[in-house]
Amino acid sequence: MGNYLVKRLFSMLITLWFVITITFFLMHSIPGGPFTREKELPPQVIEALNEKYHLDDPLYKQYFDYLKGVVTFDLGPSFVMTGVEVTELIRKGFPYSARMGGLAALIVLILGIPIGIISALKQNSIIDYIVTIIATIGVAVPGFVVATVYIYIFSSKLSLVPSFGLDGWKSYIGPVLALSFFSLAFVMRLMRSSMLEVLGADYIRTARAKGIPEPIVIFKHALKNAIIPIITYIGPMIAAILTGSFVIEKIFAIPGMGKYFVESVGNRDYTVLMGTTVFYAALVIVAILTVDVAYTLVDPRIKFGD
Amino acid sequence: MDNKKISPELWEKVETEASQTEKITRKSLTYWQDAWRRLKKNKLAMFGLAVVILIVLFAMFGQHLTDWDYSSQTLKNANLPPKMDVYPVTEDKNVFVHREYTLFLVSDKGEIIERLEPTNGTLDIMQNKRRVYEVDGNEVVLDFSFIAAARLKDEVAEKSFELKVNDELVETTESTWNMTYLLGTDDLGRDLLARVRYGATISLQIALVATLVQFFVGVFYGAISGYAGGTVDNVMMRLVDIISTIPLLLYVILLMVVLGSGLSTIMLALGLVYWVRMARIVRGEVLSLKEQEFVMAAKTLGASTWRIISRHLVPNALGPIIVSLAMMIPSAIFTEAFLSFIGLGVPAPMASWGTLANDAVKALRSYPHQLMWPSLAISMTVLSFNFFGDGLRNALDPKLRR
Repeated sequence: MGNYLVKRLFSMLITLWFVITITFFLMHSIPGGPFTREKELPPQVIEALNEKYHLDDPLYKQYFDYLKGVVTFDLGPSFVMTGVEVTELIRKGFPYSARMGGLAALIVLILGIPIGIISALKQNSIIDYIVTIIATIGVAVPGFVVATVYIYIFSSKLSLVPSFGLDGWKSYIGPVLALSFFSLAFVMRLMRSSMLEVLGADYIRTARAKGIPEPIVIFKHALKNAIIPIITYIGPMIAAILTGSFVIEKIFAIPGMGKYFVESVGNRDYTVLMGTTVFYAALVIVAILTVDVAYTLVDPRIKFGD
Repeated sequence: MDNKKISPELWEKVETEASQTEKITRKSLTYWQDAWRRLKKNKLAMFGLAVVILIVLFAMFGQHLTDWDYSSQTLKNANLPPKMDVYPVTEDKNVFVHREYTLFLVSDKGEIIERLEPTNGTLDIMQNKRRVYEVDGNEVVLDFSFIAAARLKDEVAEKSFELKVNDELVETTESTWNMTYLLGTDDLGRDLLARVRYGATISLQIALVATLVQFFVGVFYGAISGYAGGTVDNVMMRLVDIISTIPLLLYVILLMVVLGSGLSTIMLALGLVYWVRMARIVRGEVLSLKEQEFVMAAKTLGASTWRIISRHLVPNALGPIIVSLAMMIPSAIFTEAFLSFIGLGVPAPMASWGTLANDAVKALRSYPHQLMWPSLAISMTVLSFNFFGDGLRNALDPKLRR
């Protein structure tokens, strides 16, 4: 176990380094400096700006400085918003995004898994058909459509919920719904098909033949095996919710990290873009590691040596 | 046992029928024929295929459904809905009241004749909140003072306007379909049908080319890794492991920022980033295929590595590759819409379904139809590709072969 953990931690560090390096060199390969504006600045001003942001240092020095900065969680100042540190933006925006994303992930798991199980147990019933239809449509409708339609119906027409911001529980419904929609549909479908597959297995027939009560067959014998694909999906799900939050935060005007990210794409704020990308990537990578470790605990067939 | 003499009469020719019983009567099917046979049985997959073909036909020939061009603007006719409530004025002429309290003359077939110009002066319009028009000698008065009046009294107005023809109140009789702009217009008066059609060509193009790019990168990366084996394979696959844990959409966005947004950069960014899954699939196939005899035969005959990969290994792994491609197209359409939505789409006046949806969000409260069409197009396309891809996977799965 310990050996496995060390191995995984090591590969995680390599991945993080990879991410930082790609991000850094991608951002530094943009033609024209970050201060290229439509109106040309006097060379003295550019020189002063370059010196202020250490852009006149050789590239390798900038790179090592950046690496050092990431380790100490100092991601440098914003190029566009004067006097604002990237770290500060993350600190301000992340709680909103985390609350929203966390709720969405929770909803996906506590709704998606039971619905998938019920749908599998009552195969070819009306419930099953409804679930299948919802799950099929759910993966085909983009999140921004869900969000805008939700605002149109529940806030413009019926005035039941506020259309923007994040204050009060009502304002959470829309963003969380839009954010979890795709993954919820996906998990429902995945859980259903995985449960059906397991229920058809020989060892379930054996368990039933031995006279084990049905609830124990389902929850102890079937569910334990059927849930494994869901656990593997948790990593991609976190990534999907995270990237989904860019548009959802834009639509609902939530001052989260996604909003800063999208803004920095719009006004070419390179340090913010770099900092948020590295932060997001690190978040997902750590989440995937955690899930992988949990996975080995659930499934004893996976050997730690591998 | 005595030696029995076999007389020549005992030798008898076997009837042809007897040999026929051993023959396989069913025509032997190739892999692809068999897959197609199974795909045809899957109704949902065939439905998906039909819708995909319809959408492609619409993208290719849809411009003949409308007289308008995707980029021609008629500012006067901005934000027209596809379905209009019309008020009769004369025998064959109706008027339609736009949400901006302007009046359009509409023929009884539903064709928009023109936007009417008020005859009263600007001062009268502003002060009395009414517009006076003249249609074939009839005086038409559009009174829109109700909302403002109700607001002064802190009430909610029951109606937003009143239409009087020659001092007589008229009610709406029917709603007609907008025959001039079948799906309505956007905020610059561009025909939405033409825009959605044009968006279809752009979105499908992006999805297709991005898929092809990921096909080339993924197939060759996977094939080389699998065929080379050993350390090369190990290093190449560790790299794939690393890339697959990174949230890739972030890097599509970064690439777009670096390359500048545009049609070709979206295709390139999507293709260059999403090849990892393809590489894994191809490597797995190649690993098992390269041990087979036909590869050894090719090697013995002196075929080059390149020839073995491109002519022997990749064609034999085509089944899983095609399934993966069919699944990639809807996700590319999805991602493109997403990118357009955060402002990294194709530049104006070009339009993809994503940019159309993005443009429509601003005016969602007043003109929801503008968002409806592109979202419907995205969802329909993704749905039908998903159905088709699912069917294809089942049809090409050798385990399900009967």
